[in-house]
Amino acid sequence: MPVITFGEAIKQAYREEMQRDKNVFLMGEDVGRWGSLYRSSTGLLEEFGSEQIKDAPISEAAIAGCGVGSALMGMRPIVEFMYIDFISIAMDQIVNHAAKWHQLSNGKIKLPMVIKTQGGAGRRNSSQHSQSLENWFVNVPGLITVMPSTPYDVKGLLKSAIRNDNPVVFIEHKCLYFDKQEVPEEEYLIPLGKADVKRTGDNVTIIATSWMVSFALQAAETLADEGISCEVIDPRTLWPLDKETIIQSVKKTGLCLVVTEAPAEGGWSGEASSVVHEHCFSELKKPVKRHCSIRTGIPYGATLEREVIPGAESIAGAVRELTNAPSSSPLTP
Amino acid sequence: MSGVSLKNLYEEMLLLRRFDKLSMRLKMKDLIYSGYHPTEGQEAVAVGFCGALRDDDVLLSTHRPHIHAVAGGCTMEAVLTEMMGRTTGCSGGLGGGMQYVDPEHNFYCGSVVGSNLPIATGVAMAMKQQGSDRVCMCMFGDGASNTGSFHEALNLAAIWKLPVIFVCENNGFAEAMPVEEFVACKRISSRSRAYDLEEISIDGNDVEACRATADDLIERTRKGEGPFLVEAVTYRIRGHYVGDPEKTYRTKDEVAEKKQEEPLVRARERLLEQGTDAAELDALEGPIKERLDALSEWAVEQPFPTLEQAIDNVYIPLTEGEVACR
Repeated sequence: MPVITFGEAIKQAYREEMQRDKNVFLMGEDVGRWGSLYRSSTGLLEEFGSEQIKDAPISEAAIAGCGVGSALMGMRPIVEFMYIDFISIAMDQIVNHAAKWHQLSNGKIKLPMVIKTQGGAGRRNSSQHSQSLENWFVNVPGLITVMPSTPYDVKGLLKSAIRNDNPVVFIEHKCLYFDKQEVPEEEYLIPLGKADVKRTGDNVTIIATSWMVSFALQAAETLADEGISCEVIDPRTLWPLDKETIIQSVKKTGLCLVVTEAPAEGGWSGEASSVVHEHCFSELKKPVKRHCSIRTGIPYGATLEREVIPGAESIAGAVRELTNAPSSSPLTP
Repeated sequence: MSGVSLKNLYEEMLLLRRFDKLSMRLKMKDLIYSGYHPTEGQEAVAVGFCGALRDDDVLLSTHRPHIHAVAGGCTMEAVLTEMMGRTTGCSGGLGGGMQYVDPEHNFYCGSVVGSNLPIATGVAMAMKQQGSDRVCMCMFGDGASNTGSFHEALNLAAIWKLPVIFVCENNGFAEAMPVEEFVACKRISSRSRAYDLEEISIDGNDVEACRATADDLIERTRKGEGPFLVEAVTYRIRGHYVGDPEKTYRTKDEVAEKKQEEPLVRARERLLEQGTDAAELDALEGPIKERLDALSEWAVEQPFPTLEQAIDNVYIPLTEGEVACR
């Protein structure tokens, strides 16, 4: 099986879906000439032409509106926002229009639109280019929110998102584009709304999203040496949430840690935590713990941003707290 | 003017004027629930522009959409009962008077000012890519011309030469903000220069001018000469909504003066000059009244949506048997 990067996996998904259906097109800032900021569409302009790969001006509202209008006319747009921070300009179209028209048409209108972007810290871009804003979308009825964490997942999920008839907010992480993994050459799809157990374990369930999944796995590795067996669940789709996989796991382990890069307050991590409390109360040995970024703007600097977001060490620390294991390192944050 | 007589246009405007009046009465009786945005004085733009489209063209409207909708091909039954929140409405009574969609008649409106311009670019882009000669018409007001969406959409439509006609219905006010104070240019049409488009401003109270301009721009757009921005200058005779504090932004004298040049007065004067008999024009009222009385009697009998209907189509479930409101 070939080993490819996360970015290459995205490109394969684009290519397969654009070949399959001429109505699929990608539109966004520098998706053509540059092949997107992290090179996930390089060469596709030459391959598919400007009808399917559209470089757009820096006009996020127009890009999003163009997605809504063209989806209305039977096309299948993928509208890309270079940084999730810029999506604030497009929120009106996403929230007030894309998410509403299926209902306002009593189901007659379908808006198959992928709203694709990348977020998160880790590339020293400070507070207007590093945010984790997924919580905004989870709270809007009518939207599906996806956050892939691996090359294998991003390809299968993106293909499903493109084929889905709902508006799907598809949020990548800027630190994942160069991660490598074996990805099959034959076609596969990963269903939206289905979580993945990234590591099985018996003592603690760690629910982690996006970039945090890899840190959770690193932490699980460290903790295994200390005799703590962690199950790591990646929900992949934040909403609709695969509650079943989470519930099953926590019923087994009796302890649960939720890890997100977004701050905890008012966020999806609270939703995930509530799901566990509502369904696993009698099995829980302790209340669910959340380990999320400090509620701050992401600071600039070579290393500072890593200190405000969870990492492998701090996740391990949070698990030790849950399991009453002795702390081997100071907790951050 | 595509064979439509001034008398026909007058009759269509009269119908819309009376339709607006009926809606205001229903609003006063609390049978229309959201704020009602009256359309009196703006019928020439609706009839002239929206009425000039082909059935397969797409029309996008605003928070003041009802006469655009009717002139553009939606039924009065569907538009009125949408405002009244009944299942027979365009959106099954779930949208109300400011946001509804009628895909069968290619009509869409929304209540966020300026949002429909970017959507129009997407509609037009798809039309162009699909190789059709359909056009998209996007109605908006003077207020919307101050939004970022206006400028983003104009630029995009212009660089991609999209088959869209942006119609700025300048009615003098954005809510309580007079256009002279809140728009930095004298003519909104002059904003087209920034996008290298023709500068077109017309008398929006002259229904013949509106229709002639619409016919011309639609034809040119079908030939690939779009996009176009056209400003139709009219006047909002009523408040932004029924019962707004009008004295905070204009005088009664101003309104009285403007009433002398509203579209129905203008068309009627011209028809009389051309030799039409006044009695013939007055005779148009009877059948319209009968039609609207019947409409109103029918409308109040229509059912309201149930909670199940209201939450049935929030999204398309991922798996069979899953509820749609998660």
